[in-house]
Amino acid sequence: MAEISEPVNPADPTSEISKTHQAPPQVPASYFDPETMRTTKPGLKRLFLTVSVLLSFLLGFPFLWKSVEIYRSPLPFEDMDTLSKEIESNPLQFPCQFQAIFIDSNPQSSFSVLNPHYLHQSILSQMTKLTPKTPQCGTCSSNFNLSVTLDFIGGDCTQSFPGNPSCLYKCGTIPAVDFDFGDEEGVDDVLESVLGDRCSGFGGKMYSVVVVNRDDVQVVRTVVGKYRHSWIVGRHLEAETVVERVAEIFVNVFVNGGREEGLIHGEFMPVGSDGRIVLSFNLLNANPRDWIYDWDFQTIDETLLPPVIEALEPIANISVESQVLYHTPKSSFSSWDEKLGSYVFSVKDLPFFVNSNEWHLDTSIAAGGRSKILQFVVYVPSAKECPLLLRLPDGQISATNGFITPMWGGVMVWNPSTCLKDSEDKLPGRHMISTQDLHKVFEVFMGQFRQLFDLKSDSIYVGAYGDYNLLTSEIGFTEWELDVLSRKHTCFNVHSSATTLGSLSRLVQSLPRMIIMDEIGKQVKFSLESAKLAQLNSTIGVYDASAVSSRHARSLAEDAFFHPSIMSVSYYSFEHCFAVYSPFFLPVAMHVLLAALREWKRYKQENAKYLLWKAKVKVAS
Amino acid sequence: MALPLKSTLFLLFLILVSNIFAPIISFGSSIDQEREEFYEELLLRPLPDRKVLAHFHFQSTAPPSNSNGRHHHLFPKAISQLVQKFQIKEMELSFTQGRWNYEKWGGFDPISSNNAKPPGVELWAVFDVPQDQVDASWRNLTHTLSGLFCASINFLESSTMYSAPQWSFRPATGNIRYGMLPREAVCTENLTPWLKLLPCRDKAGISALMDRPSIYRSFYHSQRLHLISNKSGPEGMNPGIVLEQVLTVVLQPNSQRTGMTFSGEKNVQPSWSLSSIFGRKVSGKCVLAKSSNVYLQLERALVAKLKKNKNKGADNIASEGFWSETGFELSVRPDRVFEEENNSHRKDSSVLFEFSVDKYSDSQPFDLGLTWKFPVIWSCKPAPLHASRFLMGSGNERGAIAILLKSADLHDASLGTCSSSDGYKFRVDVFQVVPWYVKVYYHTLQLYVNGQPKAVGDVIEKIHVSPSKDKISPGVMEMVLQFPCDVKSAVLTLEFDKGFLHIDEYPPDANQGFDIPSAAISFPNFYTSLFFPGNGSVDKSPVLMKFQEKNPVLSYTEVLLVPLTTPDFSMPYNVITITCTVFALYFGSLLNVLRRRVNEEERLLKSKAGKTTRLSRLLSKLSAKLRRKPQETPETPSNSSSFISSKLLLKIFLVAVLAVAWQYYFE
Repeated sequence: MAEISEPVNPADPTSEISKTHQAPPQVPASYFDPETMRTTKPGLKRLFLTVSVLLSFLLGFPFLWKSVEIYRSPLPFEDMDTLSKEIESNPLQFPCQFQAIFIDSNPQSSFSVLNPHYLHQSILSQMTKLTPKTPQCGTCSSNFNLSVTLDFIGGDCTQSFPGNPSCLYKCGTIPAVDFDFGDEEGVDDVLESVLGDRCSGFGGKMYSVVVVNRDDVQVVRTVVGKYRHSWIVGRHLEAETVVERVAEIFVNVFVNGGREEGLIHGEFMPVGSDGRIVLSFNLLNANPRDWIYDWDFQTIDETLLPPVIEALEPIANISVESQVLYHTPKSSFSSWDEKLGSYVFSVKDLPFFVNSNEWHLDTSIAAGGRSKILQFVVYVPSAKECPLLLRLPDGQISATNGFITPMWGGVMVWNPSTCLKDSEDKLPGRHMISTQDLHKVFEVFMGQFRQLFDLKSDSIYVGAYGDYNLLTSEIGFTEWELDVLSRKHTCFNVHSSATTLGSLSRLVQSLPRMIIMDEIGKQVKFSLESAKLAQLNSTIGVYDASAVSSRHARSLAEDAFFHPSIMSVSYYSFEHCFAVYSPFFLPVAMHVLLAALREWKRYKQENAKYLLWKAKVKVAS
Repeated sequence: MALPLKSTLFLLFLILVSNIFAPIISFGSSIDQEREEFYEELLLRPLPDRKVLAHFHFQSTAPPSNSNGRHHHLFPKAISQLVQKFQIKEMELSFTQGRWNYEKWGGFDPISSNNAKPPGVELWAVFDVPQDQVDASWRNLTHTLSGLFCASINFLESSTMYSAPQWSFRPATGNIRYGMLPREAVCTENLTPWLKLLPCRDKAGISALMDRPSIYRSFYHSQRLHLISNKSGPEGMNPGIVLEQVLTVVLQPNSQRTGMTFSGEKNVQPSWSLSSIFGRKVSGKCVLAKSSNVYLQLERALVAKLKKNKNKGADNIASEGFWSETGFELSVRPDRVFEEENNSHRKDSSVLFEFSVDKYSDSQPFDLGLTWKFPVIWSCKPAPLHASRFLMGSGNERGAIAILLKSADLHDASLGTCSSSDGYKFRVDVFQVVPWYVKVYYHTLQLYVNGQPKAVGDVIEKIHVSPSKDKISPGVMEMVLQFPCDVKSAVLTLEFDKGFLHIDEYPPDANQGFDIPSAAISFPNFYTSLFFPGNGSVDKSPVLMKFQEKNPVLSYTEVLLVPLTTPDFSMPYNVITITCTVFALYFGSLLNVLRRRVNEEERLLKSKAGKTTRLSRLLSKLSAKLRRKPQETPETPSNSSSFISSKLLLKIFLVAVLAVAWQYYFE
């Protein structure tokens, strides 16, 4: 078409040769050099054509790019990164409230010279000495209120630092005179009725230490009750020692839960990432040919377990199941000990006790995908190795005859009362484990369960400034222990969700061709919201609510990270895209680009020629 | 201790009471049975073609409880949780390798119609959930089972893989789902989790016989799990569950020479013992089992033959001494002998020898052996019609499925239900599922009875067809056929087109072909039921209870292998590449032509002609030589546009030819 139209287009620069001899008459022919000059304006048609093709290609490119793009839900990367940085740099701190109450019936005693402000100062300094310098997550390092009350019964009553007046101890309400300190449970209950539930909700829970100076007691005795109170009772108590003890109770017992640092780390919190725990109780009969033991676990489940499950409600959702398994020998041998008259299994062989080939304890179908299953195993040894005892490294025999494996559960060896086989020929009968035995077994379970949560089960806490008696609760966990757990748990959950979200954000940003579903975006959003809520709740000191929302944050973050669709990295990779489109676009782009460049160059050249001629003409005229 | 003792006494009493009423009350109403129970049994049966059938039957029962299925003593926790979570009313899962030989191994007894399963995995389940949640429950169930049994049952999740039979597969159930994976390979990794559900696993008892190499060397093995939950308990209670685990194996015993030689050496049945076929012996029962028995069953035809051989007047087979005087010898004395109680087959009835494993131990293991003294030839009773299925037609476009039902020549005219009084009484139910890529045209259904074409309406009494939807659901065909009593053979044909799959939907071994799952053919007029009267035994064994159930005869047809057109999987890339190249060439040339200046080129050529350098002349000479044309003088340039376009066309053509040649030679 272009060729045909050419002869009829006189203005076209290509037809200039025919016109050269028709140069304007005013310019002498000698002036005109056809190599460097031209008389007509160079045409724009071809340039326009090639440039428009190029432009249309360039304009079409974004559309193409858009069309091969994969769907990625927008994630709040900034929020995710800031959350994880914030948690890294600034561990969660909870507010706590402490009060020390000094009660004395004798106005002339050693307390009388004391000033509550002075006591306040000295307790404070002692506490800062005990608290670790680096802020620990889930504690209340420096974020606490302390109030001190000096109450002389029948006399005056002085108080320091009324942080929140409603929480403060009302003078004279503790009838310390009438206390019978022999009945510690009773004292604990009375203290709870006086001090307990004073200020609900904000600012954290109130922990109190009551110091009673009495003449009728012989030794100084310190008891930590099962609520949030503790008391020190003694005769002629020295202010210095009392202050040391009070500070230690506050910092090491009430805040840290009476455990040594670094025993079990936060990563070993035995709660599934969906905030659920399945307690799977297993009774293993090593060899049912010798004897078969069965248990009535259902009554345990109905009577003893519900209060525990209820108490741990803010930390985890707990479900219980049980089974009896047979033909489950342990995988290592025990040795006969003549002195004890029993078979002894030494602790260093414990890694070989659990026989994962034969003990098909199984995961639970009832539990969802990411629940934590804690296996508790009662092992009934066979006649060949009965009675079976566990020997501690120091040569003593384990009192509980059991052991735990962090994050897995606990094992307990239960020996039948008589190790005699029923009879050689007859088939073994089925025995039931008696209720008393079952209760004992359950006690060991509770101890193991507490240990899995990093709580001690000793009744005495040995501190630097004295021994403290710890009262136990019938539900297995005292209130202050539950507080410690929920604080620790909140901290762990928020930390875990922050790291998970941080990893997710890094992962998503590093894989640009990964499909991100809307659901993931939603989960991330909700997880962030829950984490924020947990942080907020923890700063105002609502332990339970912050534990619950931190659990949500963690489970949502894990849901987002382990969403099944996140694995579907698009097969339509960039290389693939390139391979499909390059056979067309590469040669075409070459043509289009080269054509446009050539035309542009030619236009410039021709235009220069024309301008030169124009200039010549001007000069000539 | 007094309390438990008392309760056990009470329990014992209850069990006694419930057992007295056992024949009246079905297992469903045993609420007062408080204990979880376990039974283990093994049934052995010599087969006519020198093979032995071993049928392991384990049964665990869990009574209704209020513990939400969370506390268990014997019953597997996993199964109880499965039932609890997915609200399963009834479920059956089978893993099978090999094909049950209906002609030789029988098709008319409880074992063949209950336990002969199509190869691969078959799963069906009835749910106790509202209609709209059934599919979701099914999907979750498949995933759970696939995790539980280490099999790819999760492929049944896709709606193209399962169907909802209306009435032909199992009568009167609405919430049933049925799926089959014909190509699933079955091996020990499926057996081990299955054994894990038994309280003794394979550590003790009869299951200790399960030597993996012997089982997987067998001609046929089918491992089955069947569970029923009965909601008969009071409100608020969880249902009781009956779990049946069955392993059916057909083994070839190594023939032990007995020393005697017969003229018909070939016909001598091989003598065998448990240790020779399994390589193991039973050393005592599983102590947790309530009963632990081994049975040896002799079929009716075999018993009749033996009686004939015996040539003696006494025909009380169940009497003592029979087994030693007839053509075979047992190495262990049976504890009890049952004779089948059957009204219609008075003259020849099946015989069952019972061996109790209770009294055997490690030092004195149980090893049942059977030695034949004379050659015996007999044949098993086949199904009323022998069903087989095959493909017709050739090519990759269309074909036809034919189901052939051939009369098995039941010369004893024992088809009691098919009385001659009413002509059309021979009922056959057909249930067939066809995957969507085999597009069956149901209107092409043709029927031939005894070789004569018949109108469809004459034979089909009831039909339900749900045609397949592409990539959504498979085609399901359920039919009730009524044949005349004297039917010799019947053929059903259906034509189909082979569909095309998307490139992503092809399996890795697409060239192997695609399987059409087995069709289930049942004969509702014929029931399999063997009734062995309990010789004063208090409770019947589960195997014998199972034999007593009146189930219609059921047989499965072969799996069909349909070759589909498999594309060249690199084709899309080739197509992309060649079209893109052609387009790019066209585009480039068009652009070049558009911006060509013919006149200017001519002028340039003209001007160049005057002052050609030596090099350029050489080049033009070379090019001329290459073209094998006399050297053109630049003075005569072609100025016609048609020449240029033809040259261009030539170029394009040349490139295309080159590309095609390239493609052709380098493939």
